[in-house]
Amino acid sequence: MKRLSNPWRSATTRLLAIYGGFFGVWAIVLLSVVYWDTSQYLSDEAERLLGERAEYFASVDPGQLRERLETTYEFDLLHLNAYGLFDSAGKHVAGNIPAIPQGLLPDGHSRVYQERFDGSDRPRNSTRILAIRLHNGFELVLSRDAGLIDRLHALISRAIMWGLSLTIVPGLLGGVLLSIRPRQRIRGLQSASDRIVSGDLRQRLPLSGHDDEVDHLAGIVNRMLDEVERLMFEVKSVCDNIAHDLRTPLTHLRAGLYRLQQQTPAGDERAGPIDRAVIETDDLLARFSALLRVSELKDEHRRAAFGEVDLVDVLQQVHDLYEPLAEEKQLAFKLEIAGPASVVGDRYLLIEAFSNLVGNAIKFTPERGNVVLRLALQPEGPRVDVIDSGIGIEPEQREAIFGRFYRVDRSRITPGFGLGLSIVEAIVRLHGFDVFAADAEQGACLTVRCWSSIQQPRSTADLKVGRSV
Amino acid sequence: MRRILTIEDDPVTAREIIDELQSNGFAVDWVGTAREGLLRAVGEVYDLITLDRLLPDLDGLAVVKTMREVGVQTPVLMISALSDVDERVRGLRAGGDDYLTKPFAPDEMSARIEVLLRRQSVTPNDTRLRVHDLELDLISRKARRAGAELNLQPTEYKLLEVMMRNSGQVMTRMMLFEAVWDFHFDPGTNVVNMHMSRLRKKVDPSGMPALIRTVRGSGYVLEAPV
Repeated sequence: MKRLSNPWRSATTRLLAIYGGFFGVWAIVLLSVVYWDTSQYLSDEAERLLGERAEYFASVDPGQLRERLETTYEFDLLHLNAYGLFDSAGKHVAGNIPAIPQGLLPDGHSRVYQERFDGSDRPRNSTRILAIRLHNGFELVLSRDAGLIDRLHALISRAIMWGLSLTIVPGLLGGVLLSIRPRQRIRGLQSASDRIVSGDLRQRLPLSGHDDEVDHLAGIVNRMLDEVERLMFEVKSVCDNIAHDLRTPLTHLRAGLYRLQQQTPAGDERAGPIDRAVIETDDLLARFSALLRVSELKDEHRRAAFGEVDLVDVLQQVHDLYEPLAEEKQLAFKLEIAGPASVVGDRYLLIEAFSNLVGNAIKFTPERGNVVLRLALQPEGPRVDVIDSGIGIEPEQREAIFGRFYRVDRSRITPGFGLGLSIVEAIVRLHGFDVFAADAEQGACLTVRCWSSIQQPRSTADLKVGRSV
Repeated sequence: MRRILTIEDDPVTAREIIDELQSNGFAVDWVGTAREGLLRAVGEVYDLITLDRLLPDLDGLAVVKTMREVGVQTPVLMISALSDVDERVRGLRAGGDDYLTKPFAPDEMSARIEVLLRRQSVTPNDTRLRVHDLELDLISRKARRAGAELNLQPTEYKLLEVMMRNSGQVMTRMMLFEAVWDFHFDPGTNVVNMHMSRLRKKVDPSGMPALIRTVRGSGYVLEAPV
């Protein structure tokens, strides 16, 4: 599963970004329409006003014109309007426009110029200007400041800018903030499912209680897990029950055989087969006991009894225990201790686990081979290797060997039970350690890393499910 | 005749126990409840009691605890389906003398019962154990066979000590594994056999009468040659 670390990739953020962008564009369009409409209206109005004035002054008697002009423009308190009266030669006669603007034809059509003509020092604005020729050949130039439209333009531009920044910045920030909680929930779901994948089927996905879509989904997964757990538990308890139920009649069988054995004198020809039958029955009983032991070890309440265990002492005891067996097969059985080490655990269970590993190594190593029991010290903690020069384990079989009853095919000729490694795995898991088959130059190398690590999913076939006895 | 009280609620297991004990020459009284068992244990004299750990009316631990509190010192062999080491420790702490996990081989039970009965009669203060011409000095930790000192490894010494303390008794592999190593898992039959064969090479060199004898299907016994 991919980690969700980037807040920008969250669905909420993406949604908000799209929505924000859409909203921004819409706001620009809306304000543009308003601007365009308003400015159109204002310029139409200015043009109409100028036209009306021009018409009016054209109809005024030329003798009174200057007076009328002065009076009219005196009342223009906002100084929006200006005029200029020029004789037929184009010479300035009256008004605050000093010269006829270049390119302006006295045709009565207004034009927009980006400059002022009245000589005032007010901010430069665009000006609507118009010229007409009077009856006496004079030319009258009328102008009207179009600054209102400019200001409107600036106003609306500012509005768009603010509006956009107010939409986009909080939108993005909001997206990040809003995606925090969903991402926390996803992280919770992820860690729960990691634990489930690593074999803890009792875990369930957390629910937020809001009864939203994610909760629905988690609920569905949880119901599936309930069913999976129930089925696995059923399979497991059937297994355990078979082991339990068969053990008692087997014990009775063994008792019968034993009595028969006691009644048969050593020289009798039946003694051999009976002895073999007793040994076979013992072997069978041992398998059932081991099977039940694996189940027993999966109960985690045992951790309560954990204490400090001297690993060197444990390995020495194991070496001591198996040394005669190795000698019998003429194996070189070496104990290599890198230094003192201790772990938190159950001493007896650890001895049992390492005994199983060493017992296996001795069993699968041909005569005159080598077996090494090694304690190495790593920065993370102590590591125990059991190395042999036997037939080795194929890389593709290295995971499967820890399952119940699994045996490497080539070893089927060697007597023994495939349950040893399951017991090892159960004990190691109980301690939070890790056991795996590593590469070896020749033969096999089984390594137990004696430190707690977040377990990588390895065998999902074996379950940690509480046993009901 | 030696008398044994069997407190066991399961009739099939009880039958097994009774048959095995009777064939070994014991007189067996069987009761099915803890209450009745407690009354008998206190009121009558037995050589040994086998006690089921899980009884319908009372926990076996409580039975043995009560017995010890009122001063009954009869050896108790606890028999239980609970195989955990912790359970075992609890059983022994409560006052049980040995602990056997169900299902068990009858000869395993007999061997354990014999050892428990013998333990009563041995004085624990001996500093020197002796079987025929084999001597074990518990203080200097030296063993001699016919006067010649044996060079024993620590494990071999422990094994020999256990065998000599229980001389004449059949010691099963499981009993030896528990007594010598104090481990309670199944290491496979060969482990104890190999340690024993090492010890035998030293204790019984060729030419001398063998003191350690293999009991077919069960274990070993150390005793003076007949």
